[in-house]
Amino acid sequence: MNPFLLFIQQLVNGLRVGSIYALVALGYTMVYGIIRLINFAHGDFIMVGGYTLAFTVPLMVAAGMPAWLAVVAAIITCAITGILVEKLAYSPVRRRGNRMSSLITAIAMSLLLENGAQVLFGANPRGVGTLFTLPNIGVFSGTTLLTIVLGALVMIALQLFVNKTKMGRGMRAVSEDKEAATLMGVHVNRTIAITFAVGSALAAVASLMYCAQYNQVTTTMGSMLGLKAFVAAVLGGIGVVPGAMLGGILIGVVESLSKAYIGTLTGGVITSAFSDAIVFAILIVVLLVKPAGILGSNAGEKV
Amino acid sequence: MKKFVSLALAGSLLVSLVGCGASSSAAPASAASGASSAASTSAEISLGVTAPLTGSLATYGESVQKGVTLAVDEINAAGGILDKQVKVTFEDDKGDSTEGANSFNKLVSEGVCAIIGSVTSGVTSGLATLTDENGMLLITPSGTADTLTEGHPSVFRACFNDSYQGSIAAEFAAKDLGAKKVAILYASSDPYSAGIAASFEAACKTYGLDVVAKESSSSMTDTDYSAQLTNIIAAGPDVIFAPYYYDTVGPYIVPQTRAAGYTGVLLGADGWDGTTDTMVDDKSLYNNTYFINHYAADNPSEEVQNFVTSFNAAYGSTPNAIAAMSYDAVYMIKTAIEKAGTDTTADIVTAMTGMEFSGVTGSFKLNDLNTPEKPAVVMEYVDGNLVFKASVGGNG
Repeated sequence: MNPFLLFIQQLVNGLRVGSIYALVALGYTMVYGIIRLINFAHGDFIMVGGYTLAFTVPLMVAAGMPAWLAVVAAIITCAITGILVEKLAYSPVRRRGNRMSSLITAIAMSLLLENGAQVLFGANPRGVGTLFTLPNIGVFSGTTLLTIVLGALVMIALQLFVNKTKMGRGMRAVSEDKEAATLMGVHVNRTIAITFAVGSALAAVASLMYCAQYNQVTTTMGSMLGLKAFVAAVLGGIGVVPGAMLGGILIGVVESLSKAYIGTLTGGVITSAFSDAIVFAILIVVLLVKPAGILGSNAGEKV
Repeated sequence: MKKFVSLALAGSLLVSLVGCGASSSAAPASAASGASSAASTSAEISLGVTAPLTGSLATYGESVQKGVTLAVDEINAAGGILDKQVKVTFEDDKGDSTEGANSFNKLVSEGVCAIIGSVTSGVTSGLATLTDENGMLLITPSGTADTLTEGHPSVFRACFNDSYQGSIAAEFAAKDLGAKKVAILYASSDPYSAGIAASFEAACKTYGLDVVAKESSSSMTDTDYSAQLTNIIAAGPDVIFAPYYYDTVGPYIVPQTRAAGYTGVLLGADGWDGTTDTMVDDKSLYNNTYFINHYAADNPSEEVQNFVTSFNAAYGSTPNAIAAMSYDAVYMIKTAIEKAGTDTTADIVTAMTGMEFSGVTGSFKLNDLNTPEKPAVVMEYVDGNLVFKASVGGNG
């Protein structure tokens, strides 16, 4: 194959993976932007959404409705899970501890969800079935294009929600100063709960596109996906909504190109198996060179 | 007060040391007495089985239990071995190494003359080390890692090993598929995948196959292989060899290969068994895919069909490869005991070393590494169904 066409094909592969990372990173960045908590359980909310899809898609198909409508059930389940996790775990810890204890609680919730799912559904993977039948457009698969379009729509909707609505204004107020926001009549706890509900609903949308792409759910599917999306969010500037989109796409393209060319470039010393290491090396470089990320400015203005 | 605490600590340390000493010296002693008491003094021949009867690998354990029970019932109905009835004790290792060691030690202390188990290479490798202490005969029905039998003279297996699978795959690609150019996709960090890929690549030279591309993934559980597959397909192979497990093959590797525009052959190893359960809705994607396995229930040979019939009569289901190899493992022990003329563990080990055997998973001679050299079967997926394609290799 012509090397140029091959390069284009690898870019498309990168977009395919990156569009999923972008959707996941949007949820990460949204929650971080409001309460400054890196929600490590976000990847596992995607798993919860994935399993909801796996169980509801057959029902949708049996009822003669389009399979992707199962995402409604997934959004509801994820939002409820998100609020429960916030009320039962994050909120009590936030009141007593510092940011570090919240972070550790997030890791604990991630493990709890993964292992809980393993007890409930067993260790065997579960198929999801066909969600969309989309035609390919040029070199792009229909699913990839839909993921990118959906990611962009979600990004715009989030920007409008945070910047133009009353609830969004409340979120920004909570993000800047919780005490002052309370004094201004913002219901802080309700605002945070709604932030989690929206963030988790985004996880459900991400799980829909993940399942459309990869067709199978496992109880641990959220861990690596969540970590890479976290790197994407940091690369783009955590807390900055368009940054998550940009970071996700970039990480996907870097991962794909490193898989494709690292072997030839290094004469086989570093192989495509190192692609994950390269992705995480990016995290280290970003933290050293520009900790605020590509689109991030100083911390005070983050939303 | 401080003095008292340190005294108490010293005391407890002493107790624990004595405890350790006692238990470590007791283990080989009881093992030795276990092995010798199994000698011809008892009126029955006692076999032990350790398998994952519960846990996530419980389906494997269930297959072992059914295969072993069927063989023992047949043997006892026909008068036993050396006119003695056979008794089997099952222990549950839950697919866990520690539990496996406990099961093994328990069976040894009960005085069994041979142990069948365990199912996975992971658990079995721990048990193999334990046999060094007491010379217990261990025969794994399905542990394929090469190292299991290396340096452990009393460990045997009823299956071929991973390096053999790789060379069988190359032979099938060259002779039956007439391939010239092959590509390899594997997980370099996983011993199973990397081991088979290496032996496949080595065998490609023997069979005149040209390896045009070799790409690796970070792990056996990656979800996206499109970048590697794009490179592989650009190199224009006739066959893509991908030694992964069924949970990756079904949803990711095969659909992504087809989505990248490749319609040629995909070839795998025994880890592909079970892909039927993980396939995506469009089963036609899986046409033109093959994998190496130990046994095929629809193999027309008479031994296989007799076994399938009696298994079906006993349990109302079709036996899988693990049930078949467990069944063979019992008969391998029977053959060795009859050859030795006694049921003393050491004599059975001597008799089994280099033994010739004919069973439902093939006729073979055990090689220097106590591993059968037997024909493998190649299975094909046709519209999502598993079909017996060919029998390859083996020195009979």
